[in-house]
Amino acid sequence: MPHAAATSSSAASAAPVVVALVGNPNTGKSTLFTALAGIPTRIGNYPGVTVEEKVGRFRHRDHTIELIDLPGAYSLVPKSPDEEVAVRVLHGEMNGVAKPDVVVVVADATNLVRNLYLASQVIEVGLPTIIALTLTDLAARKGITIDMEQLAARLGCPVVPVVAPARQGIDQLGDAILAAATAAPPPRPDIAPHLAAVDSSYTPPARDAIARYAWIDRLVEGVIVRRPPLPTVSERIDKVLTHRLWGTIIFAATMLAIFSSIFWLAAPLMDLISGAVDAVAGWVEGALPEGAIRSLLVDGVLAGVGGVVVFLPQIALLFLFVAVLEGCGYLARAAYLMDRLLVGVGLSGKSFIPLLSSFACAIPGIMAARTIENRRDRLLTILVAPLMSCSARLPVYLLLTAAFVPNVAVGFGWLRLPAVVLAAMYAVGVVVAAIVALVLSRTIFRGPPQPFVMELPGWRWPQVGVVLERVREAAVSFLKNAGTLIVAVSIVVWALGSYPKVPPPEGPNVTEAEIRGEALRQSFLGRAGHLIEPLVKPLGWDWRIGCAAIASFPAREVVLGTLGVIYNLGDVDPGEEEGATQLIRLLKNATWDGTDRKVFTLPVALSIMVFFALCAQCASTLVIIGKETGSWIWPTVTFVYMTVLAWLGAFATYQIGTMILG
Amino acid sequence: MKLQGASPRDVPPMPSLDSIPVGSSARVTEVTGADATSLRLLEMGLTPGVEVQIVGTAPLGCPVELLVRGYHLSIRRNEAARIAVSA
Ligand SMILES: Nc1nc2c(ncn2[C@@H]2O[C@H](COP(=O)(O)OP(=O)(O)OP(=O)(O)O)[C@@H](O)[C@H]2O)c(=O)[nH]1
Ligand SMILES: [Mg+2]
Repeated sequence: MPHAAATSSSAASAAPVVVALVGNPNTGKSTLFTALAGIPTRIGNYPGVTVEEKVGRFRHRDHTIELIDLPGAYSLVPKSPDEEVAVRVLHGEMNGVAKPDVVVVVADATNLVRNLYLASQVIEVGLPTIIALTLTDLAARKGITIDMEQLAARLGCPVVPVVAPARQGIDQLGDAILAAATAAPPPRPDIAPHLAAVDSSYTPPARDAIARYAWIDRLVEGVIVRRPPLPTVSERIDKVLTHRLWGTIIFAATMLAIFSSIFWLAAPLMDLISGAVDAVAGWVEGALPEGAIRSLLVDGVLAGVGGVVVFLPQIALLFLFVAVLEGCGYLARAAYLMDRLLVGVGLSGKSFIPLLSSFACAIPGIMAARTIENRRDRLLTILVAPLMSCSARLPVYLLLTAAFVPNVAVGFGWLRLPAVVLAAMYAVGVVVAAIVALVLSRTIFRGPPQPFVMELPGWRWPQVGVVLERVREAAVSFLKNAGTLIVAVSIVVWALGSYPKVPPPEGPNVTEAEIRGEALRQSFLGRAGHLIEPLVKPLGWDWRIGCAAIASFPAREVVLGTLGVIYNLGDVDPGEEEGATQLIRLLKNATWDGTDRKVFTLPVALSIMVFFALCAQCASTLVIIGKETGSWIWPTVTFVYMTVLAWLGAFATYQIGTMILG
Repeated sequence: MKLQGASPRDVPPMPSLDSIPVGSSARVTEVTGADATSLRLLEMGLTPGVEVQIVGTAPLGCPVELLVRGYHLSIRRNEAARIAVSA
């Protein structure tokens, strides 16, 4: 935080004012955090977007404010790990997070009564408190008017209306925070009189809840004025999208549309990038003398990274769709529609969002499982989440389908076989996850079905800025991976495949290709590869695919880099084919060692895809599973079961594929 | 959310929320059960006296979507069965 801006004001050098944003899920806490502190955070229109605290600093009128964004909570009697975070931060019990000086209760103006439930509990904690009334624009549209002055007077604390996406009320909230820092906390809500009226047969916490609502109902009398309810657009959309039949059909159609468009929308951009990579490789080859450096750059770095970065448009598109789905409010609806199905396999609707998030990346998906109250359901969700096809698998699928799946129309004209194969790969992960969940929930995770109580947020327009930020973040992290991890693994694989140098075979008609092939076979990589060949041969793979797959343990998309490096080092002549990337040309021309039998056939390509759909080749996922479950047992279990399934799946695919296709 | 013995839990004296047809409304009279789930239902605003509308159900009849205190909440039939109502 730049303290240089400090002026004569003595408060500027004082300790920062620590402010916590507490509120029900999906009330706009993170949006407010972004507006106040200017730090992008994950924002979405479903409960449970934020699952851990996030701290940011900003300056307001020469004071430093330390702002804490918190996961949402319905009550200070927590039911799930994410709800617990808010409670612990409020009481100053969270390691590394200062106890707040001021609490901002972020309350949804369209749903004030239920939001005041948590607010009244927060006031009882005894810290200076402010109510930030969010979504006031939506409330106005719904015909809800709130008398802010009356509300503030009755609660005994300031009430500040804000529209964070439009930055309305942000300065006022900043002022209110500074004022509250030196003010007395609001009076405790006087719930006792209502408590006496509650049936004494309820448990003490239940009596408290009932009395609290009675107190709130009294408090808001005359404060909230509703116009007679008109059916809002949100409700009309809802009627169709949560309809038993139409809702299900629309859900399936949406998913298919996404898969198809990832193909045809991204193709032109992909050709552009691929052309640029080829141009750079050509330029390097022309500019540098033949030798280890040129080989390192062309066969190592460019072959590795180039094969991966061409998929940037698809990654960006996937995250664009994800961001729109997250922003509009569809996710919670889909969870509601799918609950029954998920219960059937031993999961629950609450598992749906973590699992759906895992299609983007398993790491946030696994963390999103913190919103699941029950430990058994949470663990089960975490264990199957990595089976959802994440964005790192997408380049693998796309490359192999583009190269080896014939681009013919099936069924309805607009639907093409590559898109169907792509959808099938996603389906493989889902079906296997369902089976694994079913088996585990009937055996080691046996238990009664857990309750499901989930809020369905209204439909909202996704914020353009939030959507673009999500896409940017995904693109940057994809490129960063390509620039670091993939470069590093590519160089290691290049070095292992280039050394030790052996004397080239001699003879009258030894070709360049034979020399390169022999050098690769005699390298460290080649020797290790031949050791593992028996293990991968039943999958239809040659040793080079096996090496590439193993070397992709850090992350799945690395396999494209390693494939590029290995086949580039060897005796493959990429040839010239219009409209295909360098890597596709390499793979298409690869042959089994010492023969002219092609390595890659349709069954082999499918077998690789199925392997990558099911394998656990992602070090970060295993680390996060260890962190979230607090034990190294679960990452081990995940790695073992997924690798075994991946091998079996690839084996079955290859064997059956060869039987059918000959 | 009554303590044992206060009311016969397996035979609610009144109809429960899961017996209310889609589209109609009812008034909550009691939330039975003394566990975290019943507490959560109360915390979500399903307190005695409040009016609830059944907005719809998911494809296989479960969960159900409720309109309570001006917002939409989904719960399973199991949970709905804990909520005694009067029409
Ligand atoms: N129309 C409108 N939408 C808003 C406003 N504030 C937030 N939103 C939207 O409300 C949704 C929820 O916002 P978030 O900031 O993610 O809410 P949160 O409280 O952090 O949610 P959790 O982290 O899940 O507890 C997003 O879709 C936002 O774009 C507002 O003032 N007006
Ligand atoms: Mg948030």
